[in-house]
Amino acid sequence: MHSSAPYKPLHTVRVVTAASLFDGHDAAINVMRRIIQSTGCEVIHLGHNRSVAEVVDCAVQEDAQAIAMTSYQGGHVEYFKYMKDLLGERGAGHIKIYGGGGGTILPTEIEELQAYGISRLYSPDDGRAMGLQGMINDLVKGADYLTPDVFGASLEAEVVSKNPLALAQAITAAERNEGQRIAFADSVKRVPVLGITGTGGAGKSSLTDEIVRRFLADFADLSIAVLSIDPSKRKTGGALLGDRIRMNAVHNPRVYMRSFATREANVALNRNVHDALRILSFAKFDLIIVETAGIGQSDSQITDLADVSMYVMTPEYGAASQLEKIDMIDYADLVALNKFDKRGAHDALRDVKKQYQRSRQLFTQNPAEMPVFGTIASQFNDPGTNTLYRALVDVLVQRCSLDWKSSYNRSTEISEKIYVIPPDRVRYLAEIAEESDRYEKQVRNQERIARQLWQVKGAIDLLSQSTMPIQSEES
Amino acid sequence: MTKPQAPNAAIAITTLEQKANELEQQLTAEVRSMIASWKQKLQSYQGEEFVYKVRGKEIHVANHVESLSHTPIPKISLPRFSDWGEIVRWCMRENVPGEFPYTAGVYPFKRTNEDPTRMFAGEGSPERTNRRFHYLSQGMPAARLSTAFDSVTLYGEDPARRPDIYGKVGNSGVSIATLDDAKKLYSGFDLTAPTTSVSMTINGPAPIVLAFFLNAAIDQECEKLIAERGIEEQIKQKIAAIYAEKGMPLPTYTIDEQDGGLPKGNNGLGLMLLGVSGDQVLDAADYQRCKEHALRTVRGTVQADILKEDQAQNTCIFSTEFALRLMGDVQQSFIEQQVRNFYSVSISGYHIAEAGANPITQLALTLANGFTYVEYYLSRGMHIDDFAPNLSFFFSNGVDPEYAVIGRVARRIWAKAIKHKYGGNERSQMLKYHIQTSGRSLHAQEIDFNDIRTTLQALYAIYDNCNSLHTNAYDEAITTPTEESVRRAVAIQLIINRELGLAKNENPLQGAFIIEELTDLVEEAVYTEFRKISDRGGVLGAMENMYQRNKIQEESLYYETLKHSGQYPIIGVNVFLSSKGSPTIIPQEVIRSTQEEKDMQVHNVELFRKRNSSASDAAIARLKEVAISNGNLFDELMETVKTCSLGQITHALYQVGGEYRRSM
Repeated sequence: MHSSAPYKPLHTVRVVTAASLFDGHDAAINVMRRIIQSTGCEVIHLGHNRSVAEVVDCAVQEDAQAIAMTSYQGGHVEYFKYMKDLLGERGAGHIKIYGGGGGTILPTEIEELQAYGISRLYSPDDGRAMGLQGMINDLVKGADYLTPDVFGASLEAEVVSKNPLALAQAITAAERNEGQRIAFADSVKRVPVLGITGTGGAGKSSLTDEIVRRFLADFADLSIAVLSIDPSKRKTGGALLGDRIRMNAVHNPRVYMRSFATREANVALNRNVHDALRILSFAKFDLIIVETAGIGQSDSQITDLADVSMYVMTPEYGAASQLEKIDMIDYADLVALNKFDKRGAHDALRDVKKQYQRSRQLFTQNPAEMPVFGTIASQFNDPGTNTLYRALVDVLVQRCSLDWKSSYNRSTEISEKIYVIPPDRVRYLAEIAEESDRYEKQVRNQERIARQLWQVKGAIDLLSQSTMPIQSEES
Repeated sequence: MTKPQAPNAAIAITTLEQKANELEQQLTAEVRSMIASWKQKLQSYQGEEFVYKVRGKEIHVANHVESLSHTPIPKISLPRFSDWGEIVRWCMRENVPGEFPYTAGVYPFKRTNEDPTRMFAGEGSPERTNRRFHYLSQGMPAARLSTAFDSVTLYGEDPARRPDIYGKVGNSGVSIATLDDAKKLYSGFDLTAPTTSVSMTINGPAPIVLAFFLNAAIDQECEKLIAERGIEEQIKQKIAAIYAEKGMPLPTYTIDEQDGGLPKGNNGLGLMLLGVSGDQVLDAADYQRCKEHALRTVRGTVQADILKEDQAQNTCIFSTEFALRLMGDVQQSFIEQQVRNFYSVSISGYHIAEAGANPITQLALTLANGFTYVEYYLSRGMHIDDFAPNLSFFFSNGVDPEYAVIGRVARRIWAKAIKHKYGGNERSQMLKYHIQTSGRSLHAQEIDFNDIRTTLQALYAIYDNCNSLHTNAYDEAITTPTEESVRRAVAIQLIINRELGLAKNENPLQGAFIIEELTDLVEEAVYTEFRKISDRGGVLGAMENMYQRNKIQEESLYYETLKHSGQYPIIGVNVFLSSKGSPTIIPQEVIRSTQEEKDMQVHNVELFRKRNSSASDAAIARLKEVAISNGNLFDELMETVKTCSLGQITHALYQVGGEYRRSM
């Protein structure tokens, strides 16, 4: 197996990766997506068990050049053909489809699918002949093109009707500095923007998903756009745009989502986000959420473009003095203290509230009333997240003079973890190991005593015999 | 010649006797009786017969098997220790099969009446799989049916025309979306007979499919009652009246043209009540009696292990907490309904190993998952002895050295923890496990060599006293096994069990230095892993940080790297290649479900939903209400499945329990 050098793409290449519907085999696609990323592409990874519609809608919204799928669970002929058909239906026939499924996809089926318009399905023999990087090079080369201008003069009209591909292409046009194509959105009244930022691993995307889910349930007619920004790798230019994988609510006709890579080192907000906001405002979305990766100082940029901003953190920030260093507590309208089931969460809630109060000099107000919310986004129908959601709607309504009527209750309810294993039992595995240690110690002790006893009995026997040697010989 | 020193000796003897007394006091009563009864224990295995009691019944087993050379081969061979220290250590750490800590096995002897061979099937429609089950069990004394479901079912959806769903209907498993499908699938097998046991490989929607199965068993009991009373005609009229009112046709078992009737071996049991539930045609008391009897007697296993799904296999559909609650509800319901002969979960390391974990990680993660279920069920107020006997385990056997002792280590760890930490009784202390030979060790090159690997793995498993065993077919790496390849796989087990002389002995591993040392090494490594997981907040805490997933991935990568570099030799794959380079074998054809079968399944579920449309909304509403009010969801599911399809139920439960959230 020869190893090739990574291909260097000429354009910004965006690839959607996923494993097929009802298919949990994600090992191969996880390897592939890493190599695609290190080959300089922006990878939007959806994970396993994805329907054709989910993958296609994602690729359309993201204005991706290609989809890379694995399918190990059968039904691949129908799956890939349907994907090709659906892309066509969405006007995105230019998006290329690549795939693989080891030995489960027969050579005849590969021929059939490639004849149908699937760009390429890699067989195990291809893998052996080309090597992993070789296969990815082939894929990235094929995806290294500028997405075509599908709408031409009708782009404006299609954007107004919230055609996802039109939105996607308009945003890409802005990214490519083709300002004239989106001049229609130049002077537009901005729709409400909610900025969400926070440290990596705080659960931003889960919380965003939970907010989107509640919003969709709460307002049957309103639409929502989500812009999600993740950092690019400086070394390769590639990026893993991984927020969608956690999102269950965004596959909905009232939601448009677009992932951005920062593309410039150390800047949490992609400069194209401003253009995207104009375009989405022109399309009259009712709410835009901008979710950014938290990178140091630049977090607070979110406050420049958001009407309302929320900071997501966890109780695990270290000593209380650390809070004074967090810029966003000073600027955010609301703070979500997510993973509220972590140790020390209630103390953290108190300290963050105090810091919030201190930074705004709100000393006449009760610190308990500061808009800091304990949430457990990973928990279904989490009461803390319900409380946060309602508070968020209230701030938006007030700040942007909206006429939304939320059916969620205003409450002071905070998250309470419903434990599967009670917290005082959480050391059970260590206890089992300790119990075994105790038993083995007992074994050694009893073994030693038993041996000594046997030896003593033996000595007694021996002595008893030696007192009567003649008798025993005679008998 | 020395002079007798009687007085000194007498003094010494007195002193020693004092010492002996002292020492004896320091031994526990248990250990004293171990020493006292040792000779008797040896003798009990030396006579003609060994006699022991199971649930009050005396069982006689011959102690020896005679070889062709007339050598009496002992079934249990015991050490020839004299030193009491050795005896005590051996009894406390090894012991004979059937005695704590059950290192060598949980039962005194292997069962002789039942080969641990399961009949695997799952392809296409329920009818096709039913036909296959009957074919496989022809002439077999026991029907041990193992069911593979298609991926649509595994992910809790109904068959549908949408192409990405349609293409998977009935592929690599049977399509089961309704109670009627389950009735057809197992029709002609008496589900409450002691010789029938059914295993179902399903996890995410396991509680729903389990409710299908148990209802099928209950309705079979109802049919038997109907036949007993000779009221078939009357019942058929009742059913006809129900369907006349609906204005719809009765669902039927689709006959294969080749058969011209039900498949050979299928006597039609389970089909009389297709389209209705027993409680629609019998009075409440009769139905209740049938239900109780069915639940108390039905035998089998459902995999239902959601923790390993999140760690390795990815067929999670509900949020993890909700999935665990469902499992707890199933177990709680089993206790209340006295479902004693059905394993509510098969705690599986197989998929962890298939995803790339080494044997130690497989064992450690799996046992840790097992203890997590124990802790969860205890926290819900269940008694250890009420649920521990309903737990079973499932491991993969590869060729690594640790696989020689995986059962020994698992049994010892489990027994010690259940006895000393959880205070469970003997039945609870016994870890029972199924082995499947490693699918990952089957290669697509030189596929003939795969049977050799499987044979060695099967030998490990049989010498280690596994409770049941599945041997993979050699062509599984490239295609769905054929009748020929499956027959060879079964022959592997039979040859070891019936032909291989040493396997007549039932504790061939005991007493080997390497086995004892390996057992200790693996056991210690498992505890080390337990401590690591404990530091991360237990199994669930570690899962939040994807600890298990990452560990499995790292180990997989390590194996692939060594395989790729040739440092880890695999014959016919990276060394000892044939003159043609041992190319990858590509199957010419694979078994796929037919369009007719897919259409039929789609059509059947559509009809099912239509004819139950008047009842299903209310049933779904009740189910959601039970979920919200924290009632027992499984008790309710037993009712819901009478009128709702799998997809209807999962979608309702997503709204009250939450969908699974992927992560990376």
